[in-house]
Amino acid sequence: MIAGRRLDTLRSNLLLTVVCLVWVVPLVWALGTSVRAPGEPVGTGFLWLPGRPSLANFAEAWSAAPFVTYYLNTIVICGGILAVQLFTITLAGYAFARVPFPGRELLFSLFILQLMLPLTVLAVPNFLTMRDLHLINTKLAIMLPYMASGFGVFLMRQAFRSVPLELEEAGRLDGCQWWQVLWHVYLPLTRPALVAFGLVSVTFHWNDFLWPLLVTNTPNARPLTVGLASFALAGENGAQFPLIMAGTLLVMAPLLLGFFLFQRQFVSSFIRSGIR
Amino acid sequence: MARVVLDRVTKKFGEVAAVNDVSLTVFDREFLVLVGPSGCGKSTILRLVAGLEDVSSGEIRVGDGLVNDVAPKDRDIAMVFQNYALYPHMSVFDNLAFSLKLRRVPKQQIRQRVQQTAATLGLEGLLERKPKQLSGGQRQRVALGRAIVREPQVFLMDEPLSNLDAQLRVQTRAELIKLHRRLEATVIYVTHDQVEAMTMGSRIAVMRDGVLQQMDTPTGLYDRPANMFVAGFIGSPSMNFLSGRLERHNGSLQVTAGDLVLDLPPERAAGADSANTQEVVVGVRPEDVQPAASLVPNGHRPINASVDVVEHMGNEKFVYLSLANASLVARIDVSCPASAGENLPVVVDAGKIHLFHPATEEAIF
Repeated sequence: MIAGRRLDTLRSNLLLTVVCLVWVVPLVWALGTSVRAPGEPVGTGFLWLPGRPSLANFAEAWSAAPFVTYYLNTIVICGGILAVQLFTITLAGYAFARVPFPGRELLFSLFILQLMLPLTVLAVPNFLTMRDLHLINTKLAIMLPYMASGFGVFLMRQAFRSVPLELEEAGRLDGCQWWQVLWHVYLPLTRPALVAFGLVSVTFHWNDFLWPLLVTNTPNARPLTVGLASFALAGENGAQFPLIMAGTLLVMAPLLLGFFLFQRQFVSSFIRSGIR
Repeated sequence: MARVVLDRVTKKFGEVAAVNDVSLTVFDREFLVLVGPSGCGKSTILRLVAGLEDVSSGEIRVGDGLVNDVAPKDRDIAMVFQNYALYPHMSVFDNLAFSLKLRRVPKQQIRQRVQQTAATLGLEGLLERKPKQLSGGQRQRVALGRAIVREPQVFLMDEPLSNLDAQLRVQTRAELIKLHRRLEATVIYVTHDQVEAMTMGSRIAVMRDGVLQQMDTPTGLYDRPANMFVAGFIGSPSMNFLSGRLERHNGSLQVTAGDLVLDLPPERAAGADSANTQEVVVGVRPEDVQPAASLVPNGHRPINASVDVVEHMGNEKFVYLSLANASLVARIDVSCPASAGENLPVVVDAGKIHLFHPATEEAIF
């Protein structure tokens, strides 16, 4: 009995280790490559660790491209999208969860349908819209298509529906307007869902590449991902892997750091909101 | 405090009328109990008064004002929910203070009123706790406190004791009665438990299928039920019903139901005459069926019955009897010998029986 359980634990640990390696290897390689001294070719010596570690690549990458602008742009874009999203998904989620109106289920199905559309399908029509609005090459053009989220509305609707209706009724008898019920009763009880959504949203938009690439053409509006790509392509004599890896790590660093710092909260938020 | 008036109130959900043309008045400072089986519309009435549902037709008045179109928060009504509906993310203090904060009561005054309410209900030591750290009885008191702290005109209570264990329920029942006396509040209390209704209500409204059956004091309902439903619902064990006939015999009116033959006292015969029917349903309370030995008034003919089951209650016992073609429950003194399988001649007190019309089920008397 106990031996069997031990075997089970061993098996799952082995599996987890393998999966873990698959995720970690590229990161470790990137880290190892990025600290290679500028003169040392990638193919020489030990593949994983350079002979003379150096941070010169980071300094060079930082100065070679306007990373400060890219960082600020990405932060503004991610923050702006998230702020508006939290507002829209909360209100729409509440309406779909608790406000009866004709056609509610049909409209909600249409929202769900949005989840099934790959974003690239909409790239061209969205681009034309942005052009007509004269927003090309602005941060707003990157943010606008994402300010409503079918996924977020769905998530918040489910979260609100899990709150007992009596709590809303008690709130209304206690003196709440509908928005006070939302603020004082629903939102505190659905915070895990909001946090989980915030993580998904920030991660997605931090890493988003295609859409920002399409609607921007100067560094002024570009986020990190697009900036990194143009930086990587700028090399004249082939790929400068150590330099590119240094740039890549610079782009990833805030997300990685954030994840390590708040790992525990993130995981519990995801579990409580039912996203895995 | 205030009175609450329902005037021809109907509430439909689709085609179904959950509340059908109900008119009733709850007097100022009265403890009115709405009672009935589940699905009878009693909770819906409470929700209509609270403003959580809109009436389909009719008028609801609280105090002097029509409240049909008044938002719940402006009706000056507090409600205690069956599952308490405490805000899980707030401490007991915040749960109690929430409504006052929303009404912008000064902080100092909020603190004072919350503490006063907590003292009334014995919650002083629990103010910093979250609801999930409380026992069922404590949660129930917090729910009550949340209603009291607002000092509303009317309290609505939706089966507030149903989640407590039996002992705590009896104890809390008594505390609620005392609290009502102290607060001098108008209370509308919903329950499906007729014992709760009988012990707590100044008056009781019995509901069935959305229709108000009868509204009276507990003794009024027990002694003069308006129809067979009320007669059967109020009282435990339930009233016995036997189908019988009215016959004139030697000048006096007789009721016959199988072996049971009863001469109606003259003052009741007049009422029976006016009913204009021969077929009747005879209703007999269990305590009005007694062993023949213990009660021998003239005119009572003992009937033979065999004992099926005896339930000992400690101070009395319930005896389930088989007659020739009917069955009866008797509530008899614990000292009376009766055991299953034996014969037990019994008499029925003719002065206390009820007669109902078999078609309409309405009381003849």
